[in-house]
Amino acid sequence: MSTHTTMVYLDYAASTPVDPRVIETMAGLLSRDGDFANPSSNHMAGRRSRDHVERAGEQLAALLNCRSRDLIWTSGATESDNLAIAGAAHFRADRGKHLVTMSTEHKAVTDVFHALAKRGFDVTWLHPRETGVLDLAELEDAIRDDTQLVSIMHVNNETGVIQDIERIGEICRGKDVLLHVDAAQSVGKLPLDLAALPVDLMSMTAHKFYGPKGIGALYIADRPGCHVEPLIFGGGQQRGLRPGTLPAQLIAGIGRAAEIAHEEMTANLGHLHALRDRMWGGIRDVAGILRNGDAASSFAGHLNVSIEDIEGESLLLALEPLCVATGSACNSTNQEPSYVLRALGRSDRLAQSAIRFSFGRPTTEGEVDFAAERYRGAVNRLRELAPGHAA
Amino acid sequence: MNSDPDGDPYGDRVRELFANPAHSGDIEGAIPVLVEDQGVRVALVANREDDLIATLRFRAWGCPHLIAAAEAFCADYEGQAWSRLEDFRAQEVMQSLPVPTRKMGRILVLEDAARSLGQSDRQRSIEDTD
Repeated sequence: MSTHTTMVYLDYAASTPVDPRVIETMAGLLSRDGDFANPSSNHMAGRRSRDHVERAGEQLAALLNCRSRDLIWTSGATESDNLAIAGAAHFRADRGKHLVTMSTEHKAVTDVFHALAKRGFDVTWLHPRETGVLDLAELEDAIRDDTQLVSIMHVNNETGVIQDIERIGEICRGKDVLLHVDAAQSVGKLPLDLAALPVDLMSMTAHKFYGPKGIGALYIADRPGCHVEPLIFGGGQQRGLRPGTLPAQLIAGIGRAAEIAHEEMTANLGHLHALRDRMWGGIRDVAGILRNGDAASSFAGHLNVSIEDIEGESLLLALEPLCVATGSACNSTNQEPSYVLRALGRSDRLAQSAIRFSFGRPTTEGEVDFAAERYRGAVNRLRELAPGHAA
Repeated sequence: MNSDPDGDPYGDRVRELFANPAHSGDIEGAIPVLVEDQGVRVALVANREDDLIATLRFRAWGCPHLIAAAEAFCADYEGQAWSRLEDFRAQEVMQSLPVPTRKMGRILVLEDAARSLGQSDRQRSIEDTD
């Protein structure tokens, strides 16, 4: 039996620890003895700082197989999503105001579309099949003559379901519509070849792949009609698309994190597959358990399960010291079940009972065994507490 | 998925009572009262000796605050006068734990269960007298 008196972290889809090799790189840009200067300055210190920024751009570009000049540094995926969607919608507004997205996107995407709808844009919301996968025929039908942008995430943050962005991109290219992909959950984890993929805009963030928080990027393809209007102004950095002093130490961090992810991706994916299968094997026979999202087309780092007749908030507390994510937003006035799982056809109660286990590079088999044991124990305990339980 | 910008929603006492619900369970031969509302379920069962609550047990399906409140209620009321069951008010336990105001509806289910338990015994007494 495995025992853990301290916390066991299985919430790598929410954030990852910064890799020590990344910390080492960043440390060289912080102090007076390091390359701390403003990378826009033209003196020697500024040029040294700028070298780090340029190197990071090359490292991230190598991971994505794109050109570094097609990457814009942002504060993270939320800003990248906002810049991509609102920026492209406004840039192409004179051609049309119809936009298409999915109901299961991250709030950083859905809230931008809601805001654009209030400003006169027409948004079509596509719903997934029960598997979580988008019906491509529905996408084709949704695109109209005045459609300017489609935004579909690569890996769903809750279920791990992977969308076929290559086919989606082909459909969009065929109809001269831009495709934005929120790839916050896949950059650094799954192979992405932007030289081959028909993707116009792609959002990413460092802290999902062992880089620091506060730095992300937006890929903007260099092709006619693909451009964004800036959301903030001042300074002229990054061709005016996202001005402001570049945080060289954070950019160096995302660059190094990208380099490590590139080198170790195959091994990491194998590790994640083994952990997820081990976890599912440890809990799949619990009575009433259901796996959310299509197992065959899901990212290996996620396992999302619901369970019948268990209250989600109590389950989450009973699982401590496991750090996992639940399918409800406990901070709201009422406990709102996950809109993503509701879109997959789960009842409110099943959606509310959902737990997302997400695994990472540091996760061990012992931690997974502990998590499975803890889950089984918590479910048993809550069922024993419930009225009607036969003692 | 979830994140709570307001921080930890549970106090130490709620965590302790939720983790160690010593008064959960059944009493052999006794019939529980069950109240189901607000998306939660609470069952209470007691043994009466003279005018005292000799043993008080609960079962609950709901959030950690409800389970902690039921445990606190049973621990507080065991050994007290039976007539006090009908005087229990959700506010008592909501203030002592504490429980957020938005969860009052769920704790009122516990209050309803306590009242039903008190009344059920009175009903049985009337039937016995008849």
